[in-house]
Amino acid sequence: MVYDEASLECEFEECRTFGSVIRFALDLEITATSFYEQAKNKGIAKGPVSDIFTSFAKDHAKRKDLLEHTRREKLNEMILEPISEIDNTKYKPELQLLDRLDEKNVLNQAIEIEEKAAAFFSDTSVVAKSLLAEVARIFIKMAKENQEKISKLKSVQ
Amino acid sequence: MALLPEVKKDYGKLKNFVNGEWIEPETTKYIDVENPATTGKIGELPFSTKEDTIKAIEAANEAWMEWRETPPITRARYMFKAKNIMEDHFENIARIMTQEMGKNIDEARGETRRSIENVETAAGVTSLMMGYNLEDGAAANIDEEAIITPLGTFGAIAPFNFPAMIPFWFWPYAVATGNTYIVKPSKQVPITWNYIMEILQDVFPPGVLSIVNGSHEVADALMEHPGIKGISFVGSTPVAKYIYRHCAENGKRVQAQGGAKNSLVVMEDAVMDRTVANMLASFYGCTGQRCLAGANLVPVGQKAYDAVLPKFIEGAKKIRVGYGLNETTNMGPVVSGDAKKKILGYIEKGVEEGAKLVLDGRDIKVPGYEKGYFIGPTLFEDVTPDMTIAKEEIFGPVVAVIPQDTLDDAIEMINSSNFGNAASIYTQNGRWARDFRYYLNVGNLGINIGIVAAMSYFPFAGYKDSFFGDMHGQGKDAINFFTDRKVVIMRWF
Repeated sequence: MVYDEASLECEFEECRTFGSVIRFALDLEITATSFYEQAKNKGIAKGPVSDIFTSFAKDHAKRKDLLEHTRREKLNEMILEPISEIDNTKYKPELQLLDRLDEKNVLNQAIEIEEKAAAFFSDTSVVAKSLLAEVARIFIKMAKENQEKISKLKSVQ
Repeated sequence: MALLPEVKKDYGKLKNFVNGEWIEPETTKYIDVENPATTGKIGELPFSTKEDTIKAIEAANEAWMEWRETPPITRARYMFKAKNIMEDHFENIARIMTQEMGKNIDEARGETRRSIENVETAAGVTSLMMGYNLEDGAAANIDEEAIITPLGTFGAIAPFNFPAMIPFWFWPYAVATGNTYIVKPSKQVPITWNYIMEILQDVFPPGVLSIVNGSHEVADALMEHPGIKGISFVGSTPVAKYIYRHCAENGKRVQAQGGAKNSLVVMEDAVMDRTVANMLASFYGCTGQRCLAGANLVPVGQKAYDAVLPKFIEGAKKIRVGYGLNETTNMGPVVSGDAKKKILGYIEKGVEEGAKLVLDGRDIKVPGYEKGYFIGPTLFEDVTPDMTIAKEEIFGPVVAVIPQDTLDDAIEMINSSNFGNAASIYTQNGRWARDFRYYLNVGNLGINIGIVAAMSYFPFAGYKDSFFGDMHGQGKDAINFFTDRKVVIMRWF
């Protein structure tokens, strides 16, 4: 892990419980928020890219709140089945030190973060669907939002 | 992954909450409360005396009339306030529960949610408690009505397996309907409820909701004192029988929930992947210490047996055992050293009686928690219905596989049990599901669901030796248990 300001906290490689799925998702959102805020504050993202990063940082912070709400409100202990098909290593973005990035590379880094998150939420929604349908719906929506962010980032590349 | 932080390492000496104040009990006898994963001491429980308990009863009796005269809509507002405070402390309640009882954090969060749901349901008291009337109901010009009234002070004697939730099956309904209430938490896991009482201490007027920590002496004082109108209990069948009898002798209402031996029946047409995942949660969730946990796995016919067993065993081997504050843990320890010893005794018994031990969880080692009360997923094949492990409640992560030839055989076997708490069937066949529902004598029945945990607005209790009483916990049954009907016939000259 080379980007310590926004490094993923998850040390486990497999999500085997509902709680660990949400924990990994929370870490993705915290990482994304931190990345966008710092890229902007350090002046790497300028002009329209800076505005996009500001907006994305806010979005990811809101999504973190949504995930915490989901963990509290949508969990039904009656159907807390073990989960066995989610390998987290596939979804950890490769993070690079911000100081080494120019605006072009910082956009690539942002796309990497959004792509990994989109894949995670999309794949996990399939598993979640069999357990907690409401959670699946939220994950599908989040994956869609990641895709929209990717399109926006690519449009300013 | 790093552990979630514990709320505190040590919760100190517990006190009683009586008449709106935390007071030291008169007793000098205390026992340690342990974290079952680490076996470290996390608090001290007082064995409150009869006199300590009477103080609480008298204060609750004293508070009753004013509370009764508080309009139901106002009482509902108190419930909303309690709900909001519980939400603010949601994560702390869950983590304390994991720390003192052992269940994993997801299970603890789920239990916290269910606790709050009972407060939410009870907040509907204005509708739930409404009486009924009939104009000219007695005769022409003579009207008749039934008023629903509270009774006084009630008490709960709580078990260890759901440290937060089980008193919530009762107290929100009792208090919302205008009664006052005393909770005696389990002596093994008192800290969760003491924490809940602490956060709710300023919500209700003094004496409306109290807590007395202790053991048998407190329970007996509650059952014997004339100032207590009724008792709600959850625990083992022998104790439930005692509570039922003793309360009856003392002229009290009682709902006493006992033990269980729940069978999960698998038909050949079951959707096996989904069935296995769900059954793993039922058999091994909460380390088998739910009264709704699966205990006997009953494949019907060879085809079902061949389809379900290998997948189930494969899944059970993947269950990750550890401290529940690690969010990747599937299964935590059992609650205590005594519980572990008892479960290991049942495993020995199974071997002695000739069952085939296919998965042996006895020697599991959890790195970093070598002293913890862990037992790994355990499974016996070649179990016959007459074996001890097929009949008695083990209350641990031990599965007995008892194949049956037909659904009728499975129903007959389940109905022959002394227990009648829950049973489930996994099938896509509506007729089989219907027969299962129709002919089975259990209180909670699952179709493609292995933990048949009634939501707060539905009643919860078993049949036969799983329940002694009439009115179940939660929902409308709880409203009825905590109230009486007063019939008024009115004629005006």
